[in-house]
Amino acid sequence: MSWPSCSRRPLAVVAAGGLSLGLVACSGVTDGTAGGGGYPAESITLTVGQDAGGSTDLIARALAEGSQEALGVSMPVENQPGANGAIATQEVANQDPDGYELTLLNSTLITVTSQVVPEEEAVALDDLDVLMGLSRDDYIMVANADTGYATVDDVAADSGDLSYGTAGVGTGSQLAQLLLFEDAGIEGNEVPFDSGAPALTAVMGGQVDVATIQVGEAMPQIEAGTINPIVIFADERNQHLEDVPTAQEKGYEVPVAQYRAVAMPKGAPDEVRQTLVEGIEEITATEGYQQFNEENYLTPEEVSGEEVEQQWTELADQYEQSIEDNGIDLGGSGE
Amino acid sequence: MDFTPVIEGFEVLLQPENLLFCLIGVVAGMAIGVLPGLGPAATIAILLPLTYSMDPIPSIIMLAGIFYGGIYGGTVTAVLLKLPGETASAITALEGYPLAQKGQGGKALGVGAVASFIGGTVSIVVLTLVAPVIAGFALEFGPPEYTALTLLGILLVATIGNGSKLKALAGAALGLLLATVGRDAFTGELRYTAGNLELTDGLQFVPIAMGVFGLAEILYNLERRRKSTSMPVATDRVLPSKATMKESAAPIGRGGVLGFLLGLLPGGGATVSAMASYGIEKRLNKGSTPFGKGAIQGVAGPETANNAAATASFIPLLTLGIPANATMAVMFSALLIQGITPGPQLVATDPDLFWSVINSMYLGNIVLLILAIPLIGVFVRILYVRSSILSPIIVLIVCIGAYTISNRIFEVMVVIVFGVLGYLMKKYGFDPAPLVLAFVLGSLLEDNFRRSLLMFDGDVTRITGHPIAMTLLGLFLLVVLIPILLKLAKARRPDLVGADQTTAGAGAKVPASVAAGTGTGPDTSASPDGDPQDHPPKGSEEAPDEGSGPGGPSRP
Repeated sequence: MSWPSCSRRPLAVVAAGGLSLGLVACSGVTDGTAGGGGYPAESITLTVGQDAGGSTDLIARALAEGSQEALGVSMPVENQPGANGAIATQEVANQDPDGYELTLLNSTLITVTSQVVPEEEAVALDDLDVLMGLSRDDYIMVANADTGYATVDDVAADSGDLSYGTAGVGTGSQLAQLLLFEDAGIEGNEVPFDSGAPALTAVMGGQVDVATIQVGEAMPQIEAGTINPIVIFADERNQHLEDVPTAQEKGYEVPVAQYRAVAMPKGAPDEVRQTLVEGIEEITATEGYQQFNEENYLTPEEVSGEEVEQQWTELADQYEQSIEDNGIDLGGSGE
Repeated sequence: MDFTPVIEGFEVLLQPENLLFCLIGVVAGMAIGVLPGLGPAATIAILLPLTYSMDPIPSIIMLAGIFYGGIYGGTVTAVLLKLPGETASAITALEGYPLAQKGQGGKALGVGAVASFIGGTVSIVVLTLVAPVIAGFALEFGPPEYTALTLLGILLVATIGNGSKLKALAGAALGLLLATVGRDAFTGELRYTAGNLELTDGLQFVPIAMGVFGLAEILYNLERRRKSTSMPVATDRVLPSKATMKESAAPIGRGGVLGFLLGLLPGGGATVSAMASYGIEKRLNKGSTPFGKGAIQGVAGPETANNAAATASFIPLLTLGIPANATMAVMFSALLIQGITPGPQLVATDPDLFWSVINSMYLGNIVLLILAIPLIGVFVRILYVRSSILSPIIVLIVCIGAYTISNRIFEVMVVIVFGVLGYLMKKYGFDPAPLVLAFVLGSLLEDNFRRSLLMFDGDVTRITGHPIAMTLLGLFLLVVLIPILLKLAKARRPDLVGADQTTAGAGAKVPASVAAGTGTGPDTSASPDGDPQDHPPKGSEEAPDEGSGPGGPSRP
């Protein structure tokens, strides 16, 4: 049906499944017994701003799976893809903070996308109350095995004669790659794709020399030896790729990663908030959920909502500063 | 090659329990897929939870059933109601719907089922034999190759419409323009969004197709019904007759080859294959029915191509771990849920699972054929419901289908706007097909062309380093030039017209027949179909002459 450029259209068809998927998966609504004061009394909707089947969606579904057990009610996942999740996030922010409308946030929407889009379109955390952080999904720069690149220095040696793929304008993938190249003095042609998968395909086919994608996407190919891992953009090594150095170790200040957290509209009663936080903590403690993280190469970052807000705000400021200092052009009308 | 795992795989599959799961999968896939707007990807996504708690093997078998059921379900709505669930079935609607209007919906669906079965099965057989060998082909296909392929596709679209060439061109131009709406994927700039956040990702294919095809059709029929009451004519046989199958055999053969080859490509392969098959069959058509009026060849070819491509797209998924399109992306996550990671290592590390995936596709395909044939009679009955009852129900289902695309009322609005547009187009003699198809190809072309330029550092000549792209561009030039040269030649030697038509044949090579088929002459029904190589040399080598321009009168 579609190659990257087209995929955003037909891919949305996938999302058609999203709503119904959630409905079919967890249609049972039971009486609320977990929290006090009768909350939750009915199912809690978890809105995802990405298509069904992507990693954000999978995390949402893994979380939703434990809801019946932990909160006593089901948690249907609803996909509302569009504008990199901005539409879904704004939609949820405008709902009543009654505890029945949650959203799964991608940090790059707040920290990176906001640097590219016009101000009125940028999503800030102001209208949202972050309940809890979930996990970190690392970006990794990979090269086609035939290039022989194994380190950033190898890549730098071919500076000027390079082409590199990113997962698109305004993504963490793009920011990480641009910052690293700027810092390491590497020049090349940026080729944006519509998401990580086509960028990976282009690396495998040798259409671009390197690309920055998420670890989960790269893992099967790294294991098969078709692509070489070069560097990971996190402040610590990834437990699944202990041998791969971080950009920071190599002296590049590029701590770009995709964090995910659960949020709700601002202004919820304390007991509702408390019930939800405890419920999510209970879910993340289950063996099934932890195994899910493991299988998808996610690093748990189960920190409090306050910490998430602080961390993301700091990251956004830091990125803005780096972008300005390095004179990087992410493209877009935000500049 | 060792076939033991293949055979052993079948022994497992043929257990009654597994057959039952396949049956359930096909029925469920068809039942959901038959809803307008829900293509195979959405159908699988919806039914995925059914497999969550199952063991890997029965669950894969069920998925294969859902996959084929979902694809066929889309064909059913495309033929009967002109409501395609995805691009590929939009092509089927072009001939299938006129057939249904003539009371031959059963024939169209029957041929569709047989064509799908053949296309799918041939693809699986090839997949079984050579999957790892040809998988690398998919990786050779980068942005430059896609640019060239899309150019060819657009050329085919330009001649796909029926009626006025100028109007078809106008529709295609509008389609290309609509494809530019949304965020520029290269600069992040917003284009034609009027500050509307909903438009940042651009318009989507499915609501547009549901609007200009499905909803427009209902509106148009409402008006026509007031003028003259015409109901679908009486029932017809469901099993394709010998004559029908004879007519369909060659298109099925060509569609199968085309679909398999293009289906291997990551991305728009399946779409382009159905379009290409339609374009070729239209040019080769010798049947009694002209295209656009319900030519069965226009169903058989694209349906085979569509299914062959859908199956072939499993090759990059299973051997390279690349989901080539939305449907494969959903299949990818479905397999992941079962603990199967499709990719280069699957065959090596887990041959049992690899072969059960492939074998379940054989099974799914067969079960579909067995089930579809008796069910066609039931589906066709939909058409006998009075339109005062049927139309509102369809409109309702269309709206629900549009809403579920991204759980937003916005897509419903898109359907309505494009429904009205499609109605007006139809009323004033504009064929909506070029608009829809150009829309799909437009964004493919733009993105891949710009991506290629970035790869080449702005130097277009570097495309010479890409043999596949160069070959495709060469074909493109042939397609443009040959009809012009032929026409010039004929303008000077009218006696050659007859020779042209006798040399035309089903045995013509695909590229050559595309080439000859895309004539831009004003009178398509009389344009030459012949393989240019069969053309008498003295005629085709005539140099352009003064006084015989391309627009000159070419024949009586």
